[in-house]
Formats: sequence, C-alpha cells, structure tokens
Amino acid sequence: MNTPLAGKTPTILLAALALFLVVVMPALNASGAISDFTLNTWGKYLCYAILAIAVDFLWGYTGLLCLGQALFFSLGGYMLGMHLMLMIGKLGQYKSDLPDFMVFLGYKDLPGFWKPFYSFPFASAMVLLVPGLLAGIFGYLAFRSRIKGVYFSILTQALTYGAALMFFRNEFKMGGNNGFTDFRFILGADIRAEDTKRMLYIASAVALVLIFMGCRWLTKSRFGLIQRAIRDSENRVLFSGYSAANFKLFIFVISGVIAAIGGALYVPQVGIINPSEMWMDKSLEAVVWVAVGGRGTLYGPILGAIVVNYLKSWATTEFPDYWLIIMGASFVVVVLFMPKGLVGLPGQIRELMAGRQRRRIAAAEDELLTSAAKTK
Amino acid sequence: MSMQPYLLAAEGLNKSFSGFQAIRDLNFALQKGELRTVIGPNGAGKTTFLDLITGRTKPDSGTLHFEQTHDLLKMNEYQIYRLGIGRKFQTPTVYTDHSVKENLLLSLAGSRGIWHSLFGKVTKEQEDRMEEILHTIKLTERAYSKAGSLAHGQKQWLEIGMLLAQDAKLLLVDEPAAGMTDEETHRTGELLLSLAGKHTIVVIEHDMTFVRQISQGRIVTVLHQGKVLCEGAVDKVQNDERVIEVYLGRKKKAA
Amino acid sequence: MRLASPDKWIRWSRKVLYLWAVLPLLLPVLRAQTSAARPAREIIAEAIVTEDTDKQKELVASLAGADPDEVTYWFAKWKEGEIYTHQDDAGTSTAVTLEGGPDAEEKYALATVAAGKPLSAADGVAIRATKDDLYLADTDSGLRKVMKGVTDRLALSSADVAKRLRAVEDTGFEQDPAKLPLLEDLLKSEQNGKVKAALTQAIAITKLRSEDLAVRKAAVEELGKMGSIASQDTIKTVKSEAEAAGQTELADSCNRALSEIAAHISRVNTAGTLFRGISLGSILLVVAMGLAITFGLMGVINMAHGELIAVGAYTTYLVQNLFSTGIHMSPFGLKIDIPGMNLSGTGWDCYFLVAIPASFLAAAGVGLLLERGIIRFLYKRPLESLLATWGVSMVMQQLFRMIFGANNVQVGSPSFLSGNWTVNDVIFGWNRVFVIAFAGLIIFLTWAVLTKTPLGLLIRAVMQNRSMAACMGVRTQRVNMMTFAFGSGLAGLAGAFLSQLGNVGPNLGQNYIVDSFMTVVVGGVGNIMGTVISAIGIGMSDQSLQQTLGDPVTGKILVLGAIILFLQWKPSGLFATRSRSLD
Repeated sequence: MNTPLAGKTPTILLAALALFLVVVMPALNASGAISDFTLNTWGKYLCYAILAIAVDFLWGYTGLLCLGQALFFSLGGYMLGMHLMLMIGKLGQYKSDLPDFMVFLGYKDLPGFWKPFYSFPFASAMVLLVPGLLAGIFGYLAFRSRIKGVYFSILTQALTYGAALMFFRNEFKMGGNNGFTDFRFILGADIRAEDTKRMLYIASAVALVLIFMGCRWLTKSRFGLIQRAIRDSENRVLFSGYSAANFKLFIFVISGVIAAIGGALYVPQVGIINPSEMWMDKSLEAVVWVAVGGRGTLYGPILGAIVVNYLKSWATTEFPDYWLIIMGASFVVVVLFMPKGLVGLPGQIRELMAGRQRRRIAAAEDELLTSAAKTK
Repeated sequence: MSMQPYLLAAEGLNKSFSGFQAIRDLNFALQKGELRTVIGPNGAGKTTFLDLITGRTKPDSGTLHFEQTHDLLKMNEYQIYRLGIGRKFQTPTVYTDHSVKENLLLSLAGSRGIWHSLFGKVTKEQEDRMEEILHTIKLTERAYSKAGSLAHGQKQWLEIGMLLAQDAKLLLVDEPAAGMTDEETHRTGELLLSLAGKHTIVVIEHDMTFVRQISQGRIVTVLHQGKVLCEGAVDKVQNDERVIEVYLGRKKKAA
Repeated sequence: MRLASPDKWIRWSRKVLYLWAVLPLLLPVLRAQTSAARPAREIIAEAIVTEDTDKQKELVASLAGADPDEVTYWFAKWKEGEIYTHQDDAGTSTAVTLEGGPDAEEKYALATVAAGKPLSAADGVAIRATKDDLYLADTDSGLRKVMKGVTDRLALSSADVAKRLRAVEDTGFEQDPAKLPLLEDLLKSEQNGKVKAALTQAIAITKLRSEDLAVRKAAVEELGKMGSIASQDTIKTVKSEAEAAGQTELADSCNRALSEIAAHISRVNTAGTLFRGISLGSILLVVAMGLAITFGLMGVINMAHGELIAVGAYTTYLVQNLFSTGIHMSPFGLKIDIPGMNLSGTGWDCYFLVAIPASFLAAAGVGLLLERGIIRFLYKRPLESLLATWGVSMVMQQLFRMIFGANNVQVGSPSFLSGNWTVNDVIFGWNRVFVIAFAGLIIFLTWAVLTKTPLGLLIRAVMQNRSMAACMGVRTQRVNMMTFAFGSGLAGLAGAFLSQLGNVGPNLGQNYIVDSFMTVVVGGVGNIMGTVISAIGIGMSDQSLQQTLGDPVTGKILVLGAIILFLQWKPSGLFATRSRSLD
C-alpha cells in the first residue's frame, strides 16, 4: 500500500549505491584498483551493516532496545562455522576427521548434533532456524509477561551473558574459548582464495541490499505503521485491538534472523568465530552504530556501521591507547547532541539556522515596533 | 422501554487499590442502543469502571458480561476491543507521530492479524469510510498532518473518529468535553447524539451543561464511592437529595 | 593519635580467651618445670655425654615437661649432627657446638650445650679444636623414638591451641595404642572444647586398632556419633578388614558410622553453602544497593555503575599504598610521587578503615560529575541514558588501564579480614562474615537515609513525581544530584569490599553489572526491601546450584534462566500502570 507519509529518499540514489556496492566494488577489485584487503574489510563492514539494520528494526522502529543482537549474529556465524569446521576434513593440525578442538579435548566420535552439518543446505537452514527459534522462545516469554523498555534491555543482556558463558565452556562442544577457526573450504572452493573472497563480498552486498529492501517494504506497509505505533504508545495499540505481543514477537524473530544472516556471512570472511563475539559489549557496539548513523531510518544504521568501524580501524592503529576514549566520548556526544544521528544532522542544522533566522526576524520586528512607538 | 437483553451487565464488582476501595459492589446494566451518561464526583470510580470493562484492570470480585455470552473478565484488552468495545481516554490518546489518516487507518474495522497488516489492501469502501469520518470530525484538511500537531480539541475529535472507524458496538467515552471550548463542546454533543441509536454509548462527564445537552431525558447514572447512588432522568437526578449532598451540595456549602 | 582499631580489639579479646583456655593447662607444666629445676639444655648436655643408653633415654624422656621450643631446638641440632662431644685430658666429656667458621688451622671455637658459654680449659683459656679432635654426638633409632615421643608429648601440651590441636590429630592418626593412656590423661585435664573433642576423636581412632573387638566396635560407633570426618578413611579400613574376617557385626557398625559421617558431611556442606550463599548475596546486595537507588528510584540505567565500583576498589588500592610505600605512578606522562607512611602491622591494617569512607567519597564524586555532565539531560530518555553511560564506561575502563595498568593490582587484606572461624567443621571466613555484617549496615543506612532524614523525604517526593515536586518548591536538580551521588557512593563501597574478595582490575565492575541489574529487576524496581530479598535469594540459589551441579557456570546459566521464568510468574510488581491517561 502507499502510505501518505512515504519516505522522501530518492530511490535512484539508493539504487545507484546498491549497484556500486554489488557490482562496481568487486569489479574494481578484480581489475586491481581496490586491494583484496580493502574489499575484505568492506565485506566485514557490510555484515556489520546487516547487524545494524537488525538492531534498528527492533530499536529504531519498534522501540525495543535489545542488548543481545550480537548473540543472534554469532549464532548464525556458529551454525555456518560448524559446517566449515567439518569441511576442513583431515587438513587440520591433528589430521583427523574430527575438528581439531575435539581431538584436543579427547573426543573419539563426532557428537550427534554435529553430523547433519556436513550438509551445506542443512547448515544454512540452521543459520535461520536456530537464532529464529531462540528469539521466538525468549520473545514469547518476555512479551507475554509484558516486559518492555529498559527491563527488556536488561533481560536480553542477561540472555546474552548466559549464552556466552555457555559457549565458553568446552563441554558445550562448540570449541570453547577458541571457537572455530582455520576454515579451508566453502562449497568446495578454497576459502582463502581471492575469487572466493570476492564472491563472499558480493554475497554480503547482495544480502544487505535484499534485507534493506525487505525492511523498507515492511516498514512502509500497514505493518510498519503498527510497528511505530507500538514504539510510540504500546498501550494504545492494545486498545486499537492489536496484540502488541504477537507483533513484537514477529519483529523480534525477524530481527534475530537478519542478524544471524549477517553473522553467517561474516564468519567465512574473517575466518574465526568465538564466544567473545557474543559478549555484551558487541551488542552495545551495534547499538552505537545505529545511534551514530540515525535510528528510525534504514540507511542510518548502514552509514553508522561503516563510519564507526572505519573510525575504529583508523583509531586503533593511530591511537591504540586512546581509541576507546575517542569512541566512548563521541558516543556520549552523539546521544546528547545528535539524537537523530548523522542522518538527522542536516535537518538539525537546518532547524538551527531557521531558528536563528526566526529570532532575527522577531528581533527586527521588535525593533521596528519600538521605533514606531518612539516616533509616535 | 423494551425488555431487550442487556448489552453490558456488571454484577457485584469490587476493586481496591492498595486499600482504597475504588469500586464497591457495583451493579450496572446497559441496553443496546442506549446513550448513558455517568456522572459523579472525583474519585467516584468512573474511570476505574471503564478500566474494568476494557480489561485494563481486573476486579477483585464480581462478574462482567458483554452480550450475555462474553465474560469480559477472562479476556485481555485487545480481545475485548475485538468484541466491539471502543474507548476514548480522558486525556486524548492518539498516535502522535502518525498522520491523522494513519490513525484512522489503524483503527478501521477488520482483521488485526500480522498477515493482514502485511498484505491486506485498503479497499475503496475503507477509503470512503475514512473520508467520511474525516468529514464528520472536521479534520479533512489535516488528514496528512501529524496527529501530534493537532490542537487539544482536535485530538479529542480524532479519538472519537477512531472509535467511529472501529465501528464499535459499545463506545466508552471518558470526558469528551474536557479542555474544549463551548462551541466545540456543543458540537461534540451533537456528534454523540447523532450516533445514539446506531451505537450504544456510555459517556462520562463533569460538565452539567453538556450532560443536559446529551441526556435529553435519557438515563443518567450517578456514581459515588464506587457504587451507583441513583439513576434516572437528569432533572430527577439533579433534584435527588443524596446527589445534591454528595455532588452538587458541595457547591452550596462553598457558597 | 592512635585509633582503637577493631583488629586490635579482636586480637586482645582473642588473647584473653587463650589465657582462660590455657591457664589451667599451664599449671601442671609449670610444676613439672620447677620440679626438674634444671634448664632443658643442661639435661640434654648430660644426656649427650651419657654412655649408658638406658640412662640416656631416661634423661631424654624426663624432658617431657620442659620448654617445648628449647627442646625441639636442641633435638633438631642433635639429630642433624651439629653437636659434638669434647673430651678433656681428664677424660670428662662435654657436649659442645661449633661457633663461627674455621680458622687457618681448620680449628673452631666451641660453646657448651649446657650453658652456651665458650668451653675453656682449666686454665681458663678457650679451647679450639678441629672437627677431628671431637666426637660427633650421634643418635640411634631407639633414642630418636624416645625423642619423638617427647616432642609429641610436648606438642600435646603446647600452649598454642592450634599447635595442640594439630598434635592431637596427628597422634590420633598414628593409632599407637601405647599413647592411649597419655591421651586419656590429657583429656582429663583439657579445658578447651575443641581440643577436648579432638582428643576424644583421637582416642576413638586409636582404639580402632584395639585387639578387642568390642572396644573397636564401640570406637566405631562413637566416631559415627561424632560425625568425625577425619576418621572416615580409617573406618573404611576397619570395615574392609572386618568384612575380610567375617565380623559382620563390626562391619555393620562401620556402615552405620560411615553413613552417619556422610550425613554430617552433607550437613556441613549445606551449612557452608548457606553461609556462602548469604555472603554472595550480601556482595550482590552491596553492589545492587547503589543500583537500587540510581536505577530503582531514579530510573537511570547507569551502565557505568560497574566502573564506579572499580573507582571504589582503586581508591582502596591507593589508600593502601599511601599507608605503605606511597603512590608512584606516571599516567599520561605525569609523574606522581606521594611518599607513603610505611606502616606495617596494626597501623597498616587501619588503611581499610580509611579506605571505606574514601572509596564512598571518590565514587560519589565521580557520580556527581556524571550526573551533572550527562545524566541530567537524559532523565526523560532512559534508553539513551543507558547508551550514554555505556560510552562513559568505555572511557573510564580505558582510563583505569592507562592510570593503573591493564593488569590487576594487588590489594592486601588487613589481618582482621584474613582469618576464619571453624565451628563444627563449617568454615566461616572473616572477610565473608564482615561482608554480611557490612551489607546489613548498608541496608540500615539506606533505609535510615530514605525514611528518617529530610533528604530522604525529598528524594522520595522527587522520585515519585519530578514535576510535582518542582512545583512545590523542591529543588529537584539538587535532589537528583544528591541521590545519584549517594547511589554512586554505595557502588564505591561495594568496590572497597570486592577488593578484599577478588582481583582489582579495569574490568572489575563488568563482572557484577549483569547480576546486579538482575537483582534490582527481580526485587521489584524502586523497592529497597525487594532488592535485599532478591539479592539473598539469587546468592543462595547460585551457591546451592553450584554445589549440586559442581559447576559454577552451569549454575549461573540456570539462575539467569530461572530469573527469566520468575519474571513470567511475577511481572506485575514491576509494571504498575496508572489510569486516566495511558503510559
């Protein structure tokens, strides 16, 4: 349906950007104009952007600040990682069919739940299913008992904390502390080869574009209206006959699955996944990207994810001691002075200018009046 | 008065908030098509009564039935809404960040499921209905403005419009005249009167001029300390000694 | 000026206790010494030169009532071959030790064992001799056995309760029937309850070796009744012997005794878990109390709360250094050198008493800055205050790293926090007892501040309705500031205590932040009493799950799961809605 309040974003510009990410960047890389390293870094950024959209879909549009989105991101990564671990075959350090960490821990057989992961389609299905299911169960419990606002944030934080603790344990059979690494093949291709990396980049870019378009469609439908209605006045939504809990659950699951897709694309590109990826501050970092970029818009999170991560990789090499301080402080500044993020900055400046102008006009009028009074 | 079955029937309702008895053994019956005005001093339990009907709070004891068969106490807010009970809150509660028309769209009768929200199309009839309501509540020109930018009275009207869009069987209207100019109040009264008969309406009000305007010989219920003090036509009620004592009498003493 | 410190008080009271316990015990020992009338070293000197081995043993045995330290010292020297005998021309032997190093002729100065004086010839000239001129005073196994008996006996009557206790236990495990009379004798005169119990146990354990089946059975039963954990292994041995020998009755008694002991052990463990649970709960409580104020009352999600805890812990560290070697740091290229007071012992112990208020003030100060600088702009946007304070927490963590280093710093415990009480096999660490007591104090203080002071009245008014309070002329800005500072100060106090229980590092606060948020949420936001109950509840379930599962991590995960389920069951306390208008 066509909403009266349709976004004014020029569709052509967005299409051009999408084309640039999906086609031009890889082409430039193939011709040697962009280094493999740069392309790989951008591939990472795009996965972060997917995570940021997931956070924004929940927070910016529905008002649910989830501090556990990195959990779904990592879960997606872990699911694909399991497949990649099995694809190493006998090329591992211990020349065994079992993943290295299992040999190291003295396992003789592959645990039952690992076995289906030999199949890529199964692993891909699990990338969507496992995080979706977890989000479904947790969301059902949380929304049913009407947990919202900061309580929801705190609970999701606890969920993430618990999950990370679990993954840190060797007994969980997911690689413990060290997680998964040393991947060799994906779909039969050498995961470290240039071509494979380019394909992975393209896959991330395509996924980002599709997710962007999907979310755009969702937020512009009547569903999007309800979504924002929940954000602004959840109780009123109940008195409009909508089951806010069902809607929130649906949104939470979608957001979890989106994050998981980002994670599944991220892991083969960086070649490692471990429990520190689901630690609480990772989730908060993703929230930072969204806040910096501008929440409640779909391009804001993408912009935020890229800008913040670019800044991060620059600052960590230039000022290794100070980057946390720079990040933290700039974050405080954004929250205090730029509630709409980078995307909202032009508008804010315009408003500021307009305000100044209004004041100037008012002052001029005053002057006119007083001078008129004097002449009388 | 015809002996139709009651649309809404409350029996022996009790509700207390940490020691304060807001509703005390309340009995209340409403017939289909009625326009009932409920008055009473502050703290008489008027708003709490609406909270109980709409599922916002649950009573400590008592029964509450809609159309005889539906036990409202077993349902939550949105289920009760879906039965066809709409409510206008005392302070206008609209979606401030949505446009006026979007507010109406969200309230339109129809499926409330996720699937429908994603793929359901707005039909021609629905478009027409929204235009009609916009006209009725005199907001046609503001259709695409944010609801948050409306004046207080206009928000009240929008909320009434949302009730109309819902096509509710029972309209619960909590102090519609609050914060309105005399002219707006009068128009609100006319709007409610035009709805009477088609819908069943309960109006809670303080403004006696307004009550006189809309009751026009219809039953007025006086609540006091959580129970019904008396019921009857507005003249009868206003001359009832008990009512004068608890409600109007205070003015005399003050004077 | 000297402050009367609690540790001093504790030490005094302990001394007094010891005195009472030991006094009656000392009497026979003192008598023994007076009757011997000769210092132990003289007797030892005589024994060394005695040719007759029986006479020698008799002399050594007579030392059983002498000064334990002296006897042990000389026995050790004797056994290790550091004592020689010197024979003068008249053929008189004297026990001597070598003094100092050898001279050019390999000769040593000699000192008598009996008096420690230089050995001199008849003409008064000090005798020097090479090792070859002397005879080594050796010991044979028989003599060594007697010596061991003497030292054991001495240890059994040592004035130090702990030493005496250990000696009694050791003797019991020897299971030497020959020592039974001695132990029984000691039991008669022993006054200290713990030593008495140990003696009874030692006697029973020794009796397990008895030839008499009935005695053995009685001993087993007695040990079972005592719930003697120490005898568990010995009883198992007796049991397997009894089974081998077909003594079913004895074997049955053994089984009964063992199950009684097992029951005792589980009781001890339960009590221990209970205690640890309460103490963990108290830690949570101390940490969460600050949050209960800033989050529960003010509705501010302060993600930097953990860093305020770290501020308290680092303040404790600085105060400690000030009391010892001083503060020497060079953060950001600045050189900071503050000379310390170089105190030790009780003086140093006092640092903690200074650190408590210091950490409160330091954290309250930081909290004040935080409130003025950031939080006051975000009272209406709780989710954003969460994000901004997280930024602050990042900055603070990095600052800690830059100032104090990325590694943990060492904070020592004052002596009054580093011991423990053992009551009926259950160990109560003083630091934990102290935390419990302190948590109680904090609850009381918070309660008193909130309900009994004008500030508390203002706080409650502002927290219930900011704008209404402002309309009534309450200076809400100032109340907000004070409340937040108070809550932050409580976090600092928590830090001072955590420094006594674990490591102090830049990430200290992070480990507690999730737990303490959960504590406040479960307790019911804005409800101090709820926070208390939930802290204790979470602490207890955490510890008991840890004990039953034998794995802290699974326990923790289960507790988190349980909390989520708990909120299913009782979310209403958290979300009271007002009527009339929505939200």
